[in-house]
Amino acid sequence: MLNWQRTIARALGATGLALALAGTAAAQNVVKIGGLEAQTGPASIFGLMPSQGVRMAVDEINKAGGFEVAGKRYTLQLISPDTQGNPQQALVQVKKMLEEDKVQYIFGPYLTNVFNAVAPYVQQHNNKVLLMGGATGMHGALGKPNMDFVVKTMPWDTGAAGYGSMMVGLLKKRGVKKVAILMQNDAGGKAVVDIYTPLFKEQGIEVVTEFFEPGTKDFSSTLAKLAAAKPDYLFPGYTDTALYDIVRQASEVGLTKFFITRGSIGPGMKNNAMIDSYIAWVPKYFENAEKTNPKVSRFVENYKAYYKTAFPYDQAPQCATSCYDHVYMLVEAMKKAGTVSDVPKVKAALLSTRYQGLWNIRYDTTGEAILDFDVVEVQRGGKINVTHIDPQQ
Amino acid sequence: MTQLILGQLINGVIVGTLYGIVAAGITLTFGITGIVNFALGAFMTLGAYVAWYLTDHAGLPFPAAVVLAVLATMAFGAVADQALFRHTRNNLINGLLVSIGLISVMEAGILMTWTATPKEMQFVLPGVLNAGGLVVPKMKGLVAVVLLAVVFATYAALTKTWVGRAAFAYAQNPEAARLMGVRTRLLQSGVFIYSTGLVGLGGALYASLYSIDAGFGGTYVLKGIEAAILAGIGSVGGALLGGILLGVAEAIGSIFLPAAYKDAYGLVALVLILLLRPAGIFGGSK
Repeated sequence: MLNWQRTIARALGATGLALALAGTAAAQNVVKIGGLEAQTGPASIFGLMPSQGVRMAVDEINKAGGFEVAGKRYTLQLISPDTQGNPQQALVQVKKMLEEDKVQYIFGPYLTNVFNAVAPYVQQHNNKVLLMGGATGMHGALGKPNMDFVVKTMPWDTGAAGYGSMMVGLLKKRGVKKVAILMQNDAGGKAVVDIYTPLFKEQGIEVVTEFFEPGTKDFSSTLAKLAAAKPDYLFPGYTDTALYDIVRQASEVGLTKFFITRGSIGPGMKNNAMIDSYIAWVPKYFENAEKTNPKVSRFVENYKAYYKTAFPYDQAPQCATSCYDHVYMLVEAMKKAGTVSDVPKVKAALLSTRYQGLWNIRYDTTGEAILDFDVVEVQRGGKINVTHIDPQQ
Repeated sequence: MTQLILGQLINGVIVGTLYGIVAAGITLTFGITGIVNFALGAFMTLGAYVAWYLTDHAGLPFPAAVVLAVLATMAFGAVADQALFRHTRNNLINGLLVSIGLISVMEAGILMTWTATPKEMQFVLPGVLNAGGLVVPKMKGLVAVVLLAVVFATYAALTKTWVGRAAFAYAQNPEAARLMGVRTRLLQSGVFIYSTGLVGLGGALYASLYSIDAGFGGTYVLKGIEAAILAGIGSVGGALLGGILLGVAEAIGSIFLPAAYKDAYGLVALVLILLLRPAGIFGGSK
């Protein structure tokens, strides 16, 4: 081989080696995070905004050059399939994330039926992965043996910081004596009934309960039965898909006061000419918050620019769980822990982090979020009253 | 309690007319083409989406949207008939398989066009009728009246016109009907397309009462089949009555038993009636 040929061969070899090393280094400096939410389908009202919020945060962090942990710079890679709210589909997706993609941090799920389906499998990877979701059913798993992977990003209804306890107290102050509960006949609906029935009874409020089958559209017979019990408020649930039909049909049989802990104010606004009161737990009433909180207004503007669409004010409150803030919070926890791969250390750091983003978030010792929230009341004609509550103050 | 029962009786009748219109479509299609067209639920969904889109997005008056939705459903029905069902005449299994395949195609098309987010039409006719404490939403009452009128008109057309008598003749003896000059292919296609129009109408009116999603028609086609069996396959008037019986059983059952299982109450009524009359209420003694 001639000298010049040798020189070129060496140069090519050196370049190839450098590229390979750079590639390996780049691959090592990526933290993969998963998303496990329904982005389409009837349950997407809970999952679309969180998945969009996570995507935005990942993009912002990467565009800013990533983040540094123990002297190394990392970027994030998001793997976020659409569960469509289907537990079996979600289980397959989680298996792929953990076994093929080697994901250690998953945001979601919001849905209890999805959590129930994936939890036994994720449990086999305990201490190697964090499942950070808002599902009601996650509450029961917190603090249980071999359930260290569970972090609940949605606050719990009861307890000292529980929004449900505060809202039931609000009803008591209004002199409410009887509430009719109408919930979906599934794990999520039954969990809500189990949580709220004792809460109402503690406050001396009588409860009448009925369930409906998922997919029900005509609630008139059930509503007529509940109306005959003459409740002061109807507590229906728990997805907007059902709420739109329930609120419309309930107002037709004279039930015009509603108490909502899961769902948006959309059904109340749409039927505002026919209702008297629609009290809803709204993690954040963005229409007000964007006027007073610069972080919120910046998020709204960034969302519109990123997705090139109008800001979804009705779905945005769902960003309280496993969403934009939570990605930043996880990154903060990794920095604090000095590791991106030691999951127990990252979890410990996460639970000791207080984050001031769109929400003021911290976790209790079991791994359940505590955050500030709004209680919104829609009155006849569409007048809105907002009460902001921060349990941490 | 009496008021509650009476109210639910009325509600059951109204909801039952929606089951009845689907049952009429099923029984007509089966009687003339020999197949149980499960895809009629998807045609109902299509009618609902077109009516919703034309009303809420194109800004058309609701009656015009309903007419166009029915025409659109019938046009799609004509394409489906010529492309698919023409080849499955009087073949129950092939017809069933094709109809099930068509459901997937139509649902996927609806999801691609209008996404999976449920849609709710603006109020068409707000308010309720209140008679002595019995409350009926005005729109629900209007929908029931329209559906009853259409089913009765269909029944009258079947019994009083030459085409109707030709259809009956074909259902009883296809060969004899053909020999008597009945253009059987045209008749089969006509009945198939008309059935899709019936359920398209049901869907368009449904959209004014409830929120719609890509899969709701599936529930209604099952109710329609229940109603058609309850009445005895082949009777249009019976299909309507079967639908009403089903609606009433669900509504009244929900008063005395947990409402979560109201679908089961209609099925219990179906089983009881079939035990007494195995061919259905109007299906003769066998």
